[in-house]
Amino acid sequence: MNINTARFGEVPVDESKVITMAGPILGFEQLDRFILIVPDEKKPFWWLQSVDDGAIAFVVANPFAVKPDYEPEIPGDVAQALGIERPEEAVVLCIVNIRKDPLKVTLNLRAPLVINPVTKRGGQIVLEDHAQPIQFDVTGVPKTAPQSSIPVLPPGDPIRMLSVPSPL
Amino acid sequence: MLILTRKLGEAIVIGHDIKITFLEIRGKQIRVGIEAPKGLAVHREEVYRLIRDQNVEAARGSGMALHRLPDIWEQLTGEGAKK
Repeated sequence: MNINTARFGEVPVDESKVITMAGPILGFEQLDRFILIVPDEKKPFWWLQSVDDGAIAFVVANPFAVKPDYEPEIPGDVAQALGIERPEEAVVLCIVNIRKDPLKVTLNLRAPLVINPVTKRGGQIVLEDHAQPIQFDVTGVPKTAPQSSIPVLPPGDPIRMLSVPSPL
Repeated sequence: MLILTRKLGEAIVIGHDIKITFLEIRGKQIRVGIEAPKGLAVHREEVYRLIRDQNVEAARGSGMALHRLPDIWEQLTGEGAKK
């Protein structure tokens, strides 16, 4: 299956790698199928591209790369619904907001995306912890996170899609 | 909008599987208990709106970063950190 996207042109989609957002991305309830596009494995910023609407894509980031002590508590019923038995099984990504001039990059730590990489089911959860910022400013932060320590998805992870056309 | 009056401890049933119980009033705060099917998300409205708006902005704004996304991390860690 191929999809037409606004950012990457025509993208071949391996249906076995499609992520189903069973718990919707708030505001995008009608879109539940996404693919993860990883332009560069060494960088923690990736794309989450909608399969259903080629115009919609989010920049997502591995939150642990910029905030190693981030500990999102996944509610039990969500974990159960996604079939996640141990926290380390889950892939956690945060939606990134990028504003230019001046460059300001924030991660939404309050509402991470939690994905079970085996079943490829996921959802956006809203953490009860009010202290988690919706706009965690990483503009000045990454100096504390050397690149060598950036955790990425485990090798061979099934949701990764490596055959990525370079961005237009 | 349907408006109902309830006493403490009383509840409202919506459909056949959602129940909202009014538990306690403290000044201007009301504690509400919600029973809903698993998988049905319940949000505080203002939090829901904040996150939805943030998502919409992210989807809109990510287009701007298109050319630079792979470089943004480097800008943040290297060039971007110099100021």
